[in-house]
Amino acid sequence: MDPSEVEFLAEKEVVKIIPNFSLDKIYLIGGDLGPFNPGLPVDVPVWLALNLKQRQKCRIVPPEWMDVEKLEEIRELERKEDTFTPVPSPYYMELTKLLLNHASDNIPKADEIRTLVKDIWDTRIAKLRLSADSFISQQEAHAKLDNLTLMEINTTRSFLLDTLNCMYKLRSNLQPGSSGGKSQDHQ
Amino acid sequence: MPCERKPMRYGHSEGHTDVCFDDTGKYIVTCGSDGDVRIWESLDDDDPKSINVGEKAYSLALKNGKLVTAASNNTVQIHTFPEGDPDGILTRFTTNATHITYNSSGSRVAAGSSDFMVKVVEMYDSSQQKTLRGHTAPILSVTFDPKDEFLASASCDGSVAVWKIEEQTQVTSWPLLQKSNDVINAKSLCRLAWQPKAAKLLAVPVETTVQLYQRDSWAQVGTLSDDLGTQAINVVAWSPCGKFLAAGSIGGLLTVWDVESKLCVERQTHEKGYTVCGLAWHPSGGQIAYTDTEGCLGVLDGLSSSSSSSSTTTSSTMTKQAPASYDDLFDDDDDRPLDEGISEGARSPAKNPGDEDDDDDLIPATGRARNRSAFLDDENSLDTGSLKQGLDKFVDDVGSAIVLPAAVAAPLRPVYDGPMPTPPQKAFQPGSTPAHLMHRFMMWNSVGIVRGYNDDQDNAIDVEFHDTAVHHAMHLTNSLGHTVADLSQEAVLLACPGTDELASKLQCLHFSSWDTNKEWMVDLPKGEDVQALCLGQGWAAAATSALMLRLFSIGGMQRELFSLPGPVVCIAGHGEQLLVVYHRGTGFDGEQALGVQLLQFGQKRRQVIHGEPLPLSRKSHLSWLGFTAEGTPCFIDSEGVVRLLNRSLGNMWTPVCNTRDNCKGKSDHYWVVGVHENPQQLRCIPCKGSRYPPTLPRPAVAVLPFKLPLCQTTTEKGQMEEQYWRSVLLHNHYGFLSSSGYEIDEEGQSQAQKEQQELLMKMFALSCKLEREFRSVELAELMTQNVVTLAIRYASRSGRMALAQRLSDLALEKANQLQGEEPQEEEEEPLQYTRRNTGYSQSSSEMGADRQHSSHRQAQEEEVDEEQGQEEHMDEGDVAESKRQGLNPFAKGTAASPEKPSPKPVSKEGRVNPFKVSSGLGRSGSAGGQNRVTNVLDSMMSSSKKPTALLSSSGSTGKLNKTPFLKPLAPRPKTKTQSTLLHMNAPKAANKKAAEEREPAVCRLKQTEAPPPASPAEDVENKKHKSGFQLWLEDNRRIILADNPDLEETDVIKEAIGRFRTLSADDRLTWTERAKGQSGDVADMKKRKRGEESRGDKNGQSEADETRQSEADETSAKKKKPLDTSTKLSAFAFNKN
Repeated sequence: MDPSEVEFLAEKEVVKIIPNFSLDKIYLIGGDLGPFNPGLPVDVPVWLALNLKQRQKCRIVPPEWMDVEKLEEIRELERKEDTFTPVPSPYYMELTKLLLNHASDNIPKADEIRTLVKDIWDTRIAKLRLSADSFISQQEAHAKLDNLTLMEINTTRSFLLDTLNCMYKLRSNLQPGSSGGKSQDHQ
Repeated sequence: MPCERKPMRYGHSEGHTDVCFDDTGKYIVTCGSDGDVRIWESLDDDDPKSINVGEKAYSLALKNGKLVTAASNNTVQIHTFPEGDPDGILTRFTTNATHITYNSSGSRVAAGSSDFMVKVVEMYDSSQQKTLRGHTAPILSVTFDPKDEFLASASCDGSVAVWKIEEQTQVTSWPLLQKSNDVINAKSLCRLAWQPKAAKLLAVPVETTVQLYQRDSWAQVGTLSDDLGTQAINVVAWSPCGKFLAAGSIGGLLTVWDVESKLCVERQTHEKGYTVCGLAWHPSGGQIAYTDTEGCLGVLDGLSSSSSSSSTTTSSTMTKQAPASYDDLFDDDDDRPLDEGISEGARSPAKNPGDEDDDDDLIPATGRARNRSAFLDDENSLDTGSLKQGLDKFVDDVGSAIVLPAAVAAPLRPVYDGPMPTPPQKAFQPGSTPAHLMHRFMMWNSVGIVRGYNDDQDNAIDVEFHDTAVHHAMHLTNSLGHTVADLSQEAVLLACPGTDELASKLQCLHFSSWDTNKEWMVDLPKGEDVQALCLGQGWAAAATSALMLRLFSIGGMQRELFSLPGPVVCIAGHGEQLLVVYHRGTGFDGEQALGVQLLQFGQKRRQVIHGEPLPLSRKSHLSWLGFTAEGTPCFIDSEGVVRLLNRSLGNMWTPVCNTRDNCKGKSDHYWVVGVHENPQQLRCIPCKGSRYPPTLPRPAVAVLPFKLPLCQTTTEKGQMEEQYWRSVLLHNHYGFLSSSGYEIDEEGQSQAQKEQQELLMKMFALSCKLEREFRSVELAELMTQNVVTLAIRYASRSGRMALAQRLSDLALEKANQLQGEEPQEEEEEPLQYTRRNTGYSQSSSEMGADRQHSSHRQAQEEEVDEEQGQEEHMDEGDVAESKRQGLNPFAKGTAASPEKPSPKPVSKEGRVNPFKVSSGLGRSGSAGGQNRVTNVLDSMMSSSKKPTALLSSSGSTGKLNKTPFLKPLAPRPKTKTQSTLLHMNAPKAANKKAAEEREPAVCRLKQTEAPPPASPAEDVENKKHKSGFQLWLEDNRRIILADNPDLEETDVIKEAIGRFRTLSADDRLTWTERAKGQSGDVADMKKRKRGEESRGDKNGQSEADETRQSEADETSAKKKKPLDTSTKLSAFAFNKN
């Protein structure tokens, strides 16, 4: 899966906006949206929020977790724990990126938030690599990782699978002639 | 000793601090090592004014509006107070001054410096200086003799010296202190204090005691000490009356002595034990402010009452000046609340003291707390006041020597401890935050936001619209200093108060104007200030300090002008309505006495509310006033209760919501920005720990629901009642809007009504379940006629005949009312009347009434549906439930009959049902115009006929093969109908009696209202006819009408008959086939069918009905809508099976 596809999925998440226009309910296949009253917060999917924002038709209210203090807490927890901790949103990375890129003026302390989320991301990816490493080095057949988000899985999937395939091939070649292999080593 | 130590609060950064009160005692002024002087309106003031005087401030003194500070740049500076503008340098030293003080009149300042010198400088001319040299170390403190003759100083050289100012000579000196080389190393600050007024004693803190030296003799006359005082005393201060002495020590101990008795009357310790380095008495003597070396400020409150009581008890030979000084006190106190009330108290409407202490600390901007000290003082003064009479005898020459005219008057003042007047609430703009904030909302309403900035860089106003389609955002420089604003779809209105030079101005940015001049401005007459303003549609209004309300057109034309009955609190406009709230009088004990006027402009100019009192919650003040988006006046008080004008209840105010109920914390509030009735929304901004939102970060609007404060809303009953009345209340505006000529949302209205009726029905069902029949009837009284029929059905189905009976009476009544109200259509009128009459004559039995009502309605609107509904309802009752219910149909039939049997005796005829249903259906189907006729004629079923009918019906059901019996029907209908018609037009004898006899069952049901005149024989005939004809007519009536719209009712029928005859028998047969095809699954159905079939061979219509019925079943099963009862009812019947 492409990261952009994951991002596409993330755009279905709901976010609050404060529109500056007035519009009745709109009826879409995915569900009804609105009504839009100027000045009154309303829930819309991210894709619409961004679209409206780009046309300067609304202000985006950042999700509750997109707050320096809360993210700091999460970051600390993430660093403290060896396992993955639950993230505030299954699309935290994508949402942060989308919202900060398009609506940083509506999000207080946008830069700090960006850094914090990046920190969290880095920590988690490092953990992911670490666990992949131990998974391979211990030659486990299966492993269970909780609280991973789609994007995180996505970053490692293709590489990890290819690698495993590769290693499997190598190993299966190695197995019958393991002695030969060893002897080669000795040589 | 009852004295309250308030929690300390942070004032300055860590380091030496000093504190004093201003002359009136309204402000506490502190300085600290951060170089700032802060002016606190009270201890709870979260936004003290700051004046920067230098890098560090060592000492300050304040008198006559001149603030003198000793700053680290070696100068003694003057600032104006309370503005804080620099006013020159008083004097300079070679190093920093350590302590400065005023003399009692404020004409001179003495300053001691680290360069060993003391200077005495005249305020009016700083070149007039006297320098006192003699100390050999930095000066610790200086103090003036109140008589201005001497000056005392303490120095790090360990000496305390007294100087004669004029001669600049040292009079005496005592080596009392430990020597040190600098002030910061000194063990004690040794702040001296000279007894005020009498000037007899000089207090010198020496180690842990205070030594008192007598003037002139300079002999030590006493020592004040406290056993608990283990650490050196830093500062001492005399109470303004000169009777008490307060001291603050290094260890944070605060002690107050009664000097005469040398008793310690008060002892408090600093909450953290920090060194007290500044101490000041409130001019009233009721409060001590102190600061510590950590930069914190604290207050001891409630001193004067305690001290005075102690003074009375401790010594009856009390110092002579005490009474006088108390008088002094009272005068201060008496004036203050009033002053404040007028000048600034109103921003912070009175709260009763002490009820919100904890709250206030957290509230930055309310200003509520500001008056509290005044209040407390007030109480204190009252306490002492009651003592005063006892003290009066002590008033002597000393008292009178103090030149205070009031001092003489004061003792005469009667003792009063009744309710105290509340300072009146100041005028405000609803939707704005307080004017003293640097960044504030000047207006937040449903149109947009006006923000005001008033800081160092900028004095500007930002206007922003929620809907950018209205106008783009605006940025204005606020050169005029506008303080109030309003915003509408058409314009921005701003106003500034007048100054000495400039008149108060009203500025309007009329951005929706189509010409190029988008702005106008009006100067108010001199001395008249705009206090509140609002915008309506096409007009603007401004209430002024001259108790006037001025109206302007939106283009700037001056319009009406009228006087207000009292000082304005706020005004609000919407469309053509203007709402004014003003002070009706003086409130007491924290209550506000507000009056409200509602004016309507436009076509119907009138005053809707004539200055009635505005019902606020107890001890609260108005915090928001406005209109809902739909135009209903609404206000919110400081307790968070939202009240809405109930126009349907004589313009009373109904509480619809308490915002505080939704708050999590005690100090959280909701700041309301708008109210909407449809949808029901209270738009507000949640403010954590405050009353007002800050401008940044931009607050988000939340929506609160309404909730009427009805009792027991946790129960189902309470809940539904609340929902119902809320719905009723919040849809009142439809009535108002339509009456004032606005468009209304018809759909919304009908939906609301539907919702209400549904709620009523639910409540009805609930109270039925609870065996509360009386209440059920009460509920039914609120229902519309349609729903009452439903209720009747419900009642009869659940076997509550008495209830059903009452309801039917009620329905009848309602029907009559309705008829009375609505003008009838011409053609229908006569018929209705006849029917009504018949109804009356026969009525009594519930079914009769029921029928009647239904017929009634038919006439009015969709006859078919109603009738059908009615009948089906009955049928359903029959079929579905026990025999008793089955009786109902009979009852109907019987109702018409002379016998008037009660339903029960006739009953036991469960058999009847099948017939009944089918017949009922048939009837309903044919209802239409025919019904009217039928109604009239049908009901004439004679008693004699009845038995036969019953018999026949029972027989048919029993045997299942009554077909032959009924067969002849097919041809009959025509003739019969014919006969009816004939009969109607001109009474005529019926032809086919035999046929009639066969068919009674079918006919019977139809006969609802019996017109007395018809003869029994005829009746029978008619009935029979109808069954056949009616059905057909129901289907075809509209077509006929469409073809010949001009036809009279009778003509229609004639025409119908004509067409009916043209129908071929085949057509009818096909209908029958259909009916057979869909033969029922349920046993009942089958039975009925058979009955029908038998008849159906000849009579196609019945089948058609059948089909319809089954359809109806489905729909009705799903929903019960009050409106199309007919279908539902039929459905109901089947469901029951």
